[in-house]
Amino acid sequence: MKVIEIKDLNKIYNSTEVKVHAVNGVTLDFQEAEFAAIVGPSGSGKTTLLNLLGGLDYPTSGQILIDGVDLSILKSSALIDFRMRNIGFVFQAYNLIPVLTAKENIEFIMSLQKIASKKRDERTFELLKAVGLADRAESRPAKLSGGQQQRVAVARALASKPKFVLADEPTANLDSKSATTLLEIMEKLNHEEKITFIFSTHDPRVVKMAHRVITLEDGRVVSDEQMK
Amino acid sequence: MITAIAWKNVWRNKTRSLIVISAVTIGVFAGIFSMAAINSSVVQRLDAAVNEELSHIQVNNKDFRSSADIQNIIGNYPEVVSALESTPGVTNITGRIIIRGIASTATKSTGVEITGIDVGKEKEIFTLSEKLIPGTGSYFETDTKFNSVFIGEKLAKELNIIRYIITPEAITSLREEGMTSETVSKVETLQGQRFTSEKKFVKAYEEILEPNEIQKYGWKIKEAAWSYREGSKIILSFLDINNSQTGAAFKVCGIFRTNNDMFESLSLFVPIDELRQLTGMKDGTFHRVIARLENNDITDKATSEIRQKLADYEVLNWKEIQPDLAMMADFMGQIYSVFMVIILAALAFGIVNTMLMAVLERTRELGMLMAIGMNRRKIFIMIMLESIFLSIVGGFAGMAVSEAVIAVTAKTGINLVKYSEGLEAMGYSANLYPTIDAQFFVTTTILIVLTGIIAAIYPARKALKLNPIEAIRTE
Repeated sequence: MKVIEIKDLNKIYNSTEVKVHAVNGVTLDFQEAEFAAIVGPSGSGKTTLLNLLGGLDYPTSGQILIDGVDLSILKSSALIDFRMRNIGFVFQAYNLIPVLTAKENIEFIMSLQKIASKKRDERTFELLKAVGLADRAESRPAKLSGGQQQRVAVARALASKPKFVLADEPTANLDSKSATTLLEIMEKLNHEEKITFIFSTHDPRVVKMAHRVITLEDGRVVSDEQMK
Repeated sequence: MITAIAWKNVWRNKTRSLIVISAVTIGVFAGIFSMAAINSSVVQRLDAAVNEELSHIQVNNKDFRSSADIQNIIGNYPEVVSALESTPGVTNITGRIIIRGIASTATKSTGVEITGIDVGKEKEIFTLSEKLIPGTGSYFETDTKFNSVFIGEKLAKELNIIRYIITPEAITSLREEGMTSETVSKVETLQGQRFTSEKKFVKAYEEILEPNEIQKYGWKIKEAAWSYREGSKIILSFLDINNSQTGAAFKVCGIFRTNNDMFESLSLFVPIDELRQLTGMKDGTFHRVIARLENNDITDKATSEIRQKLADYEVLNWKEIQPDLAMMADFMGQIYSVFMVIILAALAFGIVNTMLMAVLERTRELGMLMAIGMNRRKIFIMIMLESIFLSIVGGFAGMAVSEAVIAVTAKTGINLVKYSEGLEAMGYSANLYPTIDAQFFVTTTILIVLTGIIAAIYPARKALKLNPIEAIRTE
């Protein structure tokens, strides 16, 4: 089942003297429960494509349909609401809320969605267990290692059961062991929760574990391979 | 959860938040306590004016205040009393005879206003009897063959009834007050001398003491040397009903001390019957009828009602008799506004600065919150709440400190004895007992919260303008 349909997507930046065609005529589909990596050299348009997919930016032309909803025509406030309900984010720098505990960070999106306290607690505990941090539920981010923080971020991204998770260089700040652990957890959750994961990455470890690898160059898709 | 995050964010940078909260606390305390001190001064003056000097409403013969002629009496006393008694809020009524005259002793004489009073009724209306200086007699309680007069301390000094003598008891009392033995030995050189005026006595001790000793002990030395010879007499001279010069010797039955030098030096009180007898005025004649009201707040309403009933008389309330007092009461409101504007402006700048710093420091986090789906309204509310918490914590701490300090100083008083001469010349007490009403605290709280809200709008709007993509990439 198609989760995302991208049709002839273009993003052109006009703010500098030179026009930059960051995403150039991209057409792609993502199915439910995919574990895909978007790779390519710096400046190839990976992050721009991820921002467009995440509804953080509007395309210059083309369409992004998520379960049939065209992101490019949603107004800013509707887009924020759409992001909250349908998209999970994992950032390179973890970006947890420092004043909240691991448990509260995971609960946060669910509280924005006004999910009942009991359900929130159940889901949070389930995710903490899944990322192997059940014993660190009450720890604040400053008391967790980088790898642990990123696992909390993954749990947060999955908390509201989104349609897909966008992970921008999730392993870039992690040591090899932590990165491997994180990827294993993400793959396991992808399998168990049937949630699509899309990575933007340079990391060969991510590429190695990805089921599908899409390569971008100068904003165009130059290859799209099914690995597993 | 947003409220919880906002509260936790306040304590994220404890040092900075505590500095802002301390600044707010100090500002609020300074404002409230200054207001309480100023307010107490005005309230004490108003209370003194109403309770010791004027009461609430006075009814005079229309010509009495302009000419003060003994003949300008209240034409129909029963009619006036009946009008006053039928006015809601009037609790007590008394009549007075008031004549101008001269008070003299063997060495001095001065112009005075002699007030004939009904001693019993006056005690129900005025608190002057409570202002009796201990050891100077009583408020018309001793039987004497002489006419009795109750006079102010200032007048007693002017007539040289009060003298200054350093007695062995005065030396002992100064030692007990903590005066150093070196200063005591200097003061002892004045022992036995009798000074007939305060001026002469002050001059004498200023010659033998160092400036710092004078500053520290001057007031205490005067207090210790203050001496009054019980049973002193003064001669009062005035015109009788036939405009003939008359007068009599009056025994000083007691001396009162208020905070109003002018009142103390001009006013003296004698029983109304004695004055009637000396002036030849008939029984039941009065120059002024005084009414006491339940409280100050009904003054204007009661005045206009009485004025309608007594169109042939001059009806005045305390505000009209001493407009400076009414002006001071109104002025208090303006001082309050100025104080609050200064405090709130300082508070607003502190909060704007702190919240701008907080937004700047948390750009990436705010970007992340926007990215994951926290809408702008919630981000705005979160920043506003942080600001409100800062101002509320500081504001309440300031009010708690103010309340505590006011509660203590309201009991102990603030002694401004160094400035007593100037203050008492204007009728103000040199001992302040800070007081402020609950309404002031409520208003202040509301204003502080409002300031917190207004001050947070600019930083919150800054936060809303962040682009999540750029914000997330901020280092």
